[in-house]
Amino acid sequence: MPLIGAPVRRVEDARFLTGQGRYVADLTLPRMLHVAFLRSPHAHAGIVSIDAHPARELPGVLACITGDEIATQARPMRAESRMAGYHPTECPPLARGKVRFAGEAVAAVLAESRYTAEDALELVDVRYATLPVVGTPEAAMAGGAALVHEAAGSNVLLTRAFVQGDVDGAMRDAALVVGDRFRFHRHAGVTIENRACLADWNPGVGELTLWSSTQVPGLLREGLAALLDLPVHRLRVVAPDVGGGFGVKSALYPEEVAVCALARLTGRPVQWVADRREDLLTSTQAWDETIDAELAVNADGTIRGLRARVVADVGAYSIHPWTAAIEVVQVISFLPGPYRVEHYRGEAWGVATNKAPMGPYRGVGRPVSTFVTEALVDRAARRLGMDPVALRLRNLIRPDELPYRSPSGVVWDSGSFVESLERARDAAGYEHVRAEQERARRAGRYVGVGVACYVELTGVGSAIPASPGAAISTGTEGATVRVDPGGTVTASFGLACHGQGHETTLAQVVAEELGARLEDVRVVSGDTAAGPVGTGTYASRSAVIGGGAAILAARALREKALAIAAHLLEVSADDLTLGDGRATVRGTPHRGLTLREIAGAAYAGAKRLPKGMEPGLEATRFYDPYFGTASNATHIAVVEVDPETCAVIVRRFVVVEDCGRIINPLIVEGQAIGGVAQGVGAALLEEVVYADDGQLLTGSLMDYLVPTAAELPAVEVVHLEHPSPTTLGGFKGVGEGGTIGAPAAVANAIADALQPFGMELSELPATPDRLFRLLSRPRTTSSPETP
Amino acid sequence: MADAVTVRLTVNGVEREGRCEPRKLLVDFLREDLGLTGTHVGCEHGICGACTILIDGEAARSCIMLAVQADGAELLTIEGLMRDGKLHPLQEAFREHHGLQCGFCTPGMLMTALDLLRTNPSPTEAEIREGISAVLCRCTGYHGIVRAVEAAARKMR
Amino acid sequence: MKPVKFDYHAPASLDEALALLRRYGGDAKILAGGQSLMPLLNFRLSRPAALVDLNRIPSLAYIEEHDGQVRFGAMTRQRMIEFSPLVARRLPLLREATKWVGHLPIRTRGTIGGSIAHADPSAEYPAVLTALDGEVVARGPKGERVVKAKDLFVTYLTTSLEPDEILVEVRLPATDAGAGFALEEFARRHGDFAIVAIAALVVPDGARCRAARLATAGAGPVPVRLRAAEQILERDGLTDAAIDAAAGRAAELVSPDSDIHASADYRRHLTAVLTRRALRRALRVAHG
Repeated sequence: MPLIGAPVRRVEDARFLTGQGRYVADLTLPRMLHVAFLRSPHAHAGIVSIDAHPARELPGVLACITGDEIATQARPMRAESRMAGYHPTECPPLARGKVRFAGEAVAAVLAESRYTAEDALELVDVRYATLPVVGTPEAAMAGGAALVHEAAGSNVLLTRAFVQGDVDGAMRDAALVVGDRFRFHRHAGVTIENRACLADWNPGVGELTLWSSTQVPGLLREGLAALLDLPVHRLRVVAPDVGGGFGVKSALYPEEVAVCALARLTGRPVQWVADRREDLLTSTQAWDETIDAELAVNADGTIRGLRARVVADVGAYSIHPWTAAIEVVQVISFLPGPYRVEHYRGEAWGVATNKAPMGPYRGVGRPVSTFVTEALVDRAARRLGMDPVALRLRNLIRPDELPYRSPSGVVWDSGSFVESLERARDAAGYEHVRAEQERARRAGRYVGVGVACYVELTGVGSAIPASPGAAISTGTEGATVRVDPGGTVTASFGLACHGQGHETTLAQVVAEELGARLEDVRVVSGDTAAGPVGTGTYASRSAVIGGGAAILAARALREKALAIAAHLLEVSADDLTLGDGRATVRGTPHRGLTLREIAGAAYAGAKRLPKGMEPGLEATRFYDPYFGTASNATHIAVVEVDPETCAVIVRRFVVVEDCGRIINPLIVEGQAIGGVAQGVGAALLEEVVYADDGQLLTGSLMDYLVPTAAELPAVEVVHLEHPSPTTLGGFKGVGEGGTIGAPAAVANAIADALQPFGMELSELPATPDRLFRLLSRPRTTSSPETP
Repeated sequence: MADAVTVRLTVNGVEREGRCEPRKLLVDFLREDLGLTGTHVGCEHGICGACTILIDGEAARSCIMLAVQADGAELLTIEGLMRDGKLHPLQEAFREHHGLQCGFCTPGMLMTALDLLRTNPSPTEAEIREGISAVLCRCTGYHGIVRAVEAAARKMR
Repeated sequence: MKPVKFDYHAPASLDEALALLRRYGGDAKILAGGQSLMPLLNFRLSRPAALVDLNRIPSLAYIEEHDGQVRFGAMTRQRMIEFSPLVARRLPLLREATKWVGHLPIRTRGTIGGSIAHADPSAEYPAVLTALDGEVVARGPKGERVVKAKDLFVTYLTTSLEPDEILVEVRLPATDAGAGFALEEFARRHGDFAIVAIAALVVPDGARCRAARLATAGAGPVPVRLRAAEQILERDGLTDAAIDAAAGRAAELVSPDSDIHASADYRRHLTAVLTRRALRRALRVAHG
C-alpha cells in the first residue's frame, strides 16, 4: 500500500500524549538566568532617564540592562524591501530614546528566577515624557500628526498599487456597481505556547546557540548573525517542540536579539518565557484594515471590474524580515480571488501607529480580501435577484482557462474552482438548506447560508518572494536524507514544525520514494546545525518545497542503493525493486539485500562498491518550485442569528478543499478544520482593542476571546485531489486555507440571515454589540471615502 | 517575611517533597522543583486550561493555585496517565483521531477529559464540547478531540 | 505574571483566621477558592502583605437545610453544589446557575462564599442571592452578623463586609414546590462571565402570581433586584402582556456600563430580552 496518501497516525503524538514534549520553557541549562523585560506603560513617550540601580541591588538579580547598554551588543533590526514606495525603519532590541507602543521592552532584568526578575522590574525607575499618541491610520495621515518614526519622515511606511485594464471605465459602463467601506479589525494569533527563547554563549569557541519557539530558525540565524556581528556558522538556532505558530512566530523578535546579546554580555545562559500578558502586548498582530471597494457587474451577473483602496494599521514597527508590507500588499494581490476580473485597481497604504507591530498571520491578507470580495459578490447577486452560487459559477475561472494570470500578476497554475463550489453546494445540500431557511423564517427564526470561494498561492518558489520585496530568499528548501549504517534513515530539513506533523508526513514521502519502511525513517527539523540550509515553515510551503526536496534526495539515494545492490548481487539495477527496506531481484524474491546490508557496503568503501563510486549513502538536494502552486476551496457556513440577543450560532460548516495530491488525509483535515476554527473566531469573537491613548484593552484571555469547542460546529471536509501540475510530487499547501475562507463564509451567512431586516454586514468580527447597533438603526448606505 | 515552606505531596503515586516560597504557583513547583514539565503554562490566569491537572481526583488549574495549598494532596499529571507501560484509552484515542497537533494544550485537555468522563461516562457531543470548553486548543478546531473523547468514552464504559 | 511576595497562613480554625486578619489590619487577603483572586495576584493587580487561606478549615464546607433555608458553608465548592441532591431538590435555581459558573475545573476549586464576597457583578451567584433575598453570615471580632443581599453589594468587587470580617455562611430560602425558576444568561463564550444574566423565580397561583423574584448580573456595578418589574407580575399575573411589561420595566431599572464586550444600550436591551425569556421559561417550569 502506498504511504503517500495513507492516513498514517502521527509518530510525534507518543511524546506529546505522555508529557514528554520538549518546549523551550522545559529546557534548563546550568547557571541559567531568567530574564524579565520592563515594558513601557505608555504608547508613545520619550525616555528621559532610567535608574536601574535599585533593581540591581535586589538579591538574586544579576543585571539590569537598558537600551543604550545593549546597543553596544546588538544592532537594531531593519526590515529592508526592494519595493518602491517603502520606507525602512529601525527596531532596537530594547527601546532607545523613545517608546512606540505600550508593551515595548525598555530594560531587561536578569535574575536567578522569574519571580525575582519580576520583583526587580518594579524597582527600575523610568522617567517618561509622553508624546501625542498616533491611534489610527486616519490620525496618522492627518497633517501635523506626530511621527512614529521621525527618520521615515511620514507615518505612511508604504504604498503600492496593482492596475489592470480600465477599471474606472468598467465602473461607468457596468449595469450595477456595489460598493462599501469594509472593516476587518485587529486580530491576535494566540498560540497556546507563548513565545520563549533561551540563548547560550560559548566563549571558548565563540559560538552562540539560541533555542527559540519559532517557525523560522534559518531566517533567525541569518538575521541574528548580522545584528550580533557573528559569522553565520558561529550561530546555531534550534526550534524544539513549538506550541503553535500560525505566522505569529515567523518574525525575528527584539526579545530574541536581546536574549542573545544578554547571554554574550553575561556569559551565562539566558532564558525568556513570555507570559500571556506579554504575548498579547507584543506578539505580532494581524489585519486591521479598512477597505473601500466596489464591484462592477453586467446585468447577467458577469463581473466587469473591481476597485479597492486598502488602508492598513501596521503598528509601530516594520517587522523583520517581512516588513510592514506583508499583510496589506497581500490584500490587493488577492482581492480578485478565483474570479475572472478584467479590470482591476487595488491600492494599498501601510500606516504606522502606536500599536503592536503587524505581522503575518495564517492566511496573510487573504482572509480580508476574501471577506471583501465575497461580500461584494453576494451583494451583486442580491441586487440582480440571482442566486449567489449561480453568480459565482458564472465568474469562476474554468479549468480550460488555466494557467491564468490574475490582475495583480499572480499565476494560477491549476485549480478546481468550479468543481469545489459545485461539490460544496451538493455536500451542504444547498437547495435543502435554502428550503429550511424559508421554513425557519416563517417560524420567526433567522437562518443564513454563506458561501466563500478562494484561491491562494502556496509553496511559493523563487519567482515570487513570499513577502513582496523583502530582502530574503524564501523560494527554496533542502533535504538531507541519510541511510545510516544500521539501515535506518535520517531525513533532515531546514524546515521547522509547530504542529503540522512533519515527522509523519515527510517520513511518508521519504519512505515511499526511497523504498524504506516508515518506522525506519526519522525526520529531523528545526535545527540549523542538523539539516541543510533553509528558512523555516510559513506561507503553506513545507509540503510543497520540503516535500519536493525530500523526493529529490530520496530518489538520488534510491538510485545509489540500487546500484550498490546490483553490484553486490551481480544483476542489473533495472532488475531490482526497492521497497519496504529491501532491494529484491524481480521474479526471484528470495534474492535481495536489505537497506542495512546495502548501507553496510556503502560505508565499507571501495572494496564493496562499484568501481569509482563514492562511498556513503547520503544525499542532499534542494528544490525550488519557482512560481508556486494554487490551492483552492469553497466554504459554506450555515448560521442562525437570534435578532433579539444578537447571538450567532454556526450550525454547519462545509469545506471542499483541493490541496493537490494528499500526503496524509488526517493531517489535511486537521489543518483545514483548525484553520476554520481560527476563521470562525475571527468572524465572531476575536478582536484586539486599543483605547484612544494606545493602551491595550484586550490584555488577557478573558478579554481577547479565542473560540472554545462550544462555539464551533462539527466541520465537514471533502477532499478534491487534483495533483499540482507544476510541483514535484503534485503537492499543494494547505496550512492556511481554513482561515482564509471561514470569515467570509460566516459573514455572508450572517448577512443572508438578516436580509429580512434589510441590512448588510461590512465589519468583522460581527460581535453581538455590533449586530445590535446594526439592527437598531435604520439602514443607511455608506459611501467609500478616500483615505 | 515570606520564608520558604516545605511542600509534601503525592504526584502520580509517588511521594514528593520540595521547598519553595509561599507565592510559588503549583504549576511552577511541578515543573521547576519536581521536574515534571509535562504540565504546561499557557496563561497564568485560569483561562486557557493548559495547566489542568487532577487534584485529589478532580480537574483543577495548577496556575491559579499555590504549591503550598497542595501540601498533602494527591495529584495526577499527564506523566502519570499511562498504566503498566500502556497508553490510557484517552491517550490512544487522541492519537487515533488526530486530537492534537502542536501538543501544547494536550496535557490540560487530557486531564479535563478524564474528569469529564468520570463525572459523565456517556456524554453527548454537546456535553463533550461543553466539558472540554474548559481548555483552549488553537490547532485542531476541537474536531479530533471531540471524536477522541467519544471513542474513549465507548472504550472506558 | 508571578505574584508579589506575601506571608501565607492556613489557619485551622475561624478564630485563628480572624486573629490573623486583625494582625495584618486590612493588608491581608482572604483566599477561598482562589479562582478570581489568584489571577489578580498573578497580574500583580492585587498585592497583599499576607494571604489567609481558608482551605484548611474543614468546618466551613457544608450544605444543610434549616427552617426553610438552605445554608452553605462559605468554603462549599461550586462543584459540590452542582452535584448536591439537596440543592437539586430545594434550590434548583442555584443548581442551574452553577452550571454557568466558569467550567468544571474552575468549579472544582471555586466556592460559594468566595464568589459572593468577590462581588463581581457579572457573576451568577450574587444574582441568585439577590433574586432570592438571601443573606450571608459574617463573622468578625465582635461576633456574627447577618447581612441581607440588598445590603451586601456596594459596587464593583466591593461588599459592605469589613476587612476584619469573614463571610462564613450563605443562606438561601428553599424553593417551594410549584415555583418556577430560570437563569437566562448571555455570554460571549461558554463559561465566560455574563454580558447580562437574569435570575428569575415565580410562584404562580392559578392565573395570579403569588411572588416573582428577578435579579440581574452584568447590568451595573452590583446585582440589581428588579422589584418594580416583579410588582407588575404580582399585580397583573403571569400573562404574556404582563411579562412583556415586566421585561420592559426591567430595562428601565438598570444602569449598565459600557465595556469592550458590550455597550450600555446593548446591555439594557439584553436585560429586557432575557427577563422576558427567563420569566417565560420559569412559568413553563412551574407548570411542569
